[in-house]
Amino acid sequence: MADLPISTHVIEFPYTRTLGPVLGPFLTGLRDGQIYGIRSNDGRVLTPPTEWDPLTGEPLETSALVPVGPGGVVETWAWVNHPTVKHPLDRPFAFALIKLDGADTALMHAVDAGSMDAMSTGMRVTARFKDERIGVITDLVFIPEGGE
Amino acid sequence: MASANEPVEGASAGEGPVEGASASEGPVVMMDYFMHLEYHEVVCPIVRRYAASLMAGKILGQYSPKSGLVYVPPRSFCPVSCEWLGEDHLIELEDRGVVTAFTIVTPVQYYGQEETEPFAKASVLLDGPGGMLSLQDILEIPPDEVRIGMRVEAVWLPEHERNTDEIGNRSWGSAAGAIVGWRPTGEPDLPAETFTEKVY
Repeated sequence: MADLPISTHVIEFPYTRTLGPVLGPFLTGLRDGQIYGIRSNDGRVLTPPTEWDPLTGEPLETSALVPVGPGGVVETWAWVNHPTVKHPLDRPFAFALIKLDGADTALMHAVDAGSMDAMSTGMRVTARFKDERIGVITDLVFIPEGGE
Repeated sequence: MASANEPVEGASAGEGPVEGASASEGPVVMMDYFMHLEYHEVVCPIVRRYAASLMAGKILGQYSPKSGLVYVPPRSFCPVSCEWLGEDHLIELEDRGVVTAFTIVTPVQYYGQEETEPFAKASVLLDGPGGMLSLQDILEIPPDEVRIGMRVEAVWLPEHERNTDEIGNRSWGSAAGAIVGWRPTGEPDLPAETFTEKVY
């Protein structure tokens, strides 16, 4: 195979999307170093926040956003041994569902744990924000609490 | 707020997601959503032959005796007659033909758009046994003068400037890197009835 000619095709869709009344403030919060959830009509705090109550479909207002984290608990996780260029970290890491303090649902994000041995369900992690943030979900990653 | 049709400041093409739609102060109201798909595939032998022929200034097609259809680039099978096509079915095609269909594209200045003026993309049915090259550029005349039945001839790149690396198994690029486009020959237009049977 190695000596056979390879053709390469690149397709790019450079979309720009509006964020709306809930995800806009959520990402503005990340840019400013604060994670937000949103209080749904039954009192639960959803993280990441949604524009609609998932149970009733009713709209949720910007004013229902509440600060959560930065610490939380890993509910489940998967170790990524060979990150691709599309992954949030260029070294092995975990994708984890993290229930942040003050939230009732889990946020999926990356945990920069160093090695798989450092990961366990139920472990505590905390957000580590980048120095330069622009309001995207990769403005932060999580690290084991007490680490670094 | 940036319109979706305007380039976003700080955005650039490249590997993976590109960030930059967001401001360093004020509310974040937009996000870049860059999708980047990169395909790598081994080019099949018949397409390699086709690309090599383009480098030499020849257009190769494959003729299916059962269906009477000609495929360009060659594709090793005829989906109409369900038969395999091989080396024996290769034929050299004309580099002249007729425009059987066209679209005038008025470029919208979305991010990455390099064209600024309206241009035509045409399907060109080659003379002789046939063979259809689609999405071809029509050169030397304004796009509103392109018409069905117009006789055209290929404008080849000089041999030392040809590069057929873009040509893959799915006809992407079809003759890109060898034929720049097609220019009118000045011959009288052909009536559509003379070629409708060969349009597929």
